[in-house]
Amino acid sequence: MKRISIGILVSTVILMLAMPVSAVAEEYMIGLSLAITGPTSDAGNPYSKGVEDYFRYVNDMKLLGEDTINYNIRDDKYETAITKRNFEEFLDMGMVFYLNYSTGSTLALKRDFEEVKMPTLPASYHAGNIEESNYIFLPIASYSAQAIGLAEYLVANHDGKTPKVAMYVHPSAFGRGPVEDVQATVKAGLEMEIVEVVEHGKDLDVTGMLQRWKSKGVQYVISQTVQSPVATLLKGASRMNLVAGSFGEKGKITFMGAHYTGGNDLIALAGKAAENFYWTTSFITTSEESYGADAQIALAERYGRDDKTANSHNYAAGIIVAEVATEVIQRAKAKGKEVNKETLYQELLAMNGMNALYSGTAVGPVTYAKDDHQGVDTLQLYSVQDGEFRAVGKPFIPEYTDKIK
Amino acid sequence: MSANRWLATGNYFTTYQDEQRIFFTHIDRLLFVAFLASLFAWPLFIDVSNKYMLIFDNILVAVIAVLGLNLVTGFGGLISVGHAAFVGVGAYTVACLAQMIGDQHVIITHFWPVMIIVGGFIGAIFGLIVGLPALRLRHLYLLMATLSFQMIFQWVIGFMDFFNQGQFIYVGRVHWFTGEVGRSNHYEFWYYALLVTAVILSFGVRNLLRTRYGRSLVAVRDNDRAADAMGMHPGFTKVAAFGIAGFFAGIAGAMQAYLNRGAGFETFTLHESIQYLAMTIVGGLGSLPGTFFGPAAIKMLDLQMENLAEWAGHILPSSLDLATGLRPLSFGLVIVLFLMFEPRGIANWWRIVRSYVKLWPFRY
Repeated sequence: MKRISIGILVSTVILMLAMPVSAVAEEYMIGLSLAITGPTSDAGNPYSKGVEDYFRYVNDMKLLGEDTINYNIRDDKYETAITKRNFEEFLDMGMVFYLNYSTGSTLALKRDFEEVKMPTLPASYHAGNIEESNYIFLPIASYSAQAIGLAEYLVANHDGKTPKVAMYVHPSAFGRGPVEDVQATVKAGLEMEIVEVVEHGKDLDVTGMLQRWKSKGVQYVISQTVQSPVATLLKGASRMNLVAGSFGEKGKITFMGAHYTGGNDLIALAGKAAENFYWTTSFITTSEESYGADAQIALAERYGRDDKTANSHNYAAGIIVAEVATEVIQRAKAKGKEVNKETLYQELLAMNGMNALYSGTAVGPVTYAKDDHQGVDTLQLYSVQDGEFRAVGKPFIPEYTDKIK
Repeated sequence: MSANRWLATGNYFTTYQDEQRIFFTHIDRLLFVAFLASLFAWPLFIDVSNKYMLIFDNILVAVIAVLGLNLVTGFGGLISVGHAAFVGVGAYTVACLAQMIGDQHVIITHFWPVMIIVGGFIGAIFGLIVGLPALRLRHLYLLMATLSFQMIFQWVIGFMDFFNQGQFIYVGRVHWFTGEVGRSNHYEFWYYALLVTAVILSFGVRNLLRTRYGRSLVAVRDNDRAADAMGMHPGFTKVAAFGIAGFFAGIAGAMQAYLNRGAGFETFTLHESIQYLAMTIVGGLGSLPGTFFGPAAIKMLDLQMENLAEWAGHILPSSLDLATGLRPLSFGLVIVLFLMFEPRGIANWWRIVRSYVKLWPFRY
């Protein structure tokens, strides 16, 4: 009897040891608070869909094995108070990575990110976000870098005396941010003259301003705002026959803009007046053939998105932040680390050199380090040709961003 | 006065003093104390998330601000659509000082009750200045004067470097007897600080209304010429009302700056002013309980509408952006419905419930 009991015990132990260890599937909570409705929701809506679709894809395709991403997307209507509340809710839910949206809320919550040591990727590329911050990482080149990139391009391709430039900016931190940096660039040696800096209102007619620019001999306009005021500007200039037919055409004005001024929404708003508008961003566009463009459209089709969303650069912007978050989780898992905000933060800091992330939706690699919180440093210039954004030259990195530091 | 001070099932006032009592019966007083005790005690027994604690805190900030607005608009009959700007004055008083001397300076972190009172006084000064047009203006014209103050405030904050051009200005964490109030109990701490302030200020308003000035305020609202003929000073009464409202708003703003750990431009826009006005109307113009009901109702409605708009935002076509309209639509609808069907606000429902309970079981 005793022998039988020992036999059963031994068999049980052997069976237990032989049984495959079924790992408990983990769920990683990632929060996103953004404007799905309210001001700037035209950008926030496709952005949220980009994030959602990419995380759905990760879960559906089991890119993290049995583990899944529990993504929570909340609408904050572009109100900082609601963003703060959403952030607190996410923290209570055990968030390990945070995706934020506006400049105002990113600046307001900066101290909270520091206190709770939460790695954060905002949709705002304001350079001030990463000043005195360890945990905020810009997905792409800052607005300042974009404006400087445009300034460098116009100086390099201008034919004649010192080019005269006007800056047309949003009346907020988002718009004003790059102005000082462009002015510093001029002081540092970039040969151009900033004739005027205009903070636009909600005017539907800009004839007076354009007339003034014309009399002051303005040749280029660098815009840092959203699409609708730029569309108003372009339509006004087109009506006055002021839009340059080619880059730097004499006697006319060449209009240029940073990330949030362009995209298909601008073409939809401005129509033919958008022709020859020069735009810079770190994202690819679906009007240019590329692997990333195909992947972006395929992802949108997979989850039943309309054409407008599928071709939006804001959809691409949403994809890339979700991609970065997924990548750091994958890397932490591959190293056998526990996935938490600290390990994800460490993985972000290690995302450089051979470990850079190559995303199909961006024109350059995503790199971060302790002293580099700007993801894609590379920019691509586009111009509207026959109603579509077409690449102008090769991707580039602005030189003066380092010189003025 | 009823012989039974515990249970009076009707009005038995025989003197003016009787009618001016804060609590008519001992039961009233006991219930109030019990209610107040429960407000203080519940966070000790119920584990509430930071999200909801923040909502309660925001409701209390609005209560303090609306106390002032109700005084000027409800009791004084002077319409003001610049109240968020007064709240902003209080917030920026703390934030700007923090910017000048450092947000970790002992004055900001240790002497925060003084800073809050200073915020109130600066708000009062602005209230007195903005109230000056009330000497000559009424109704829509006065509305325009307060609206101009709101616009001027927004412009000044948005464009002046001193105010960081509307960008967020940080305010350090406060200290209490136990040391720095850390992140883990930040919202709970401010819940208590705001609750104590709201209770003190509410008693202040209740007592103010029992004074000569309080009676003048109501008399000036009802008919300023008649009040003048009876020896009251309508001009002083109106300007002082704006000053007191500015003080309350300044207190609310300073506390909001501490709660949010800084001040940013977008919390003090015209939209917020209209929200304060809506809270006053929905709660009940000229009603003290209404100043509590209004903010709670509007904030809760806002929360539910946020959820609805978010849900709708996901399913409705983004190109139409219909979901964006849901919140203002519901907000506007609630105000219109209240103005049409219950102009005395939620406070009137409270009055009906109270009189029902008071007379029960001897109903009419």
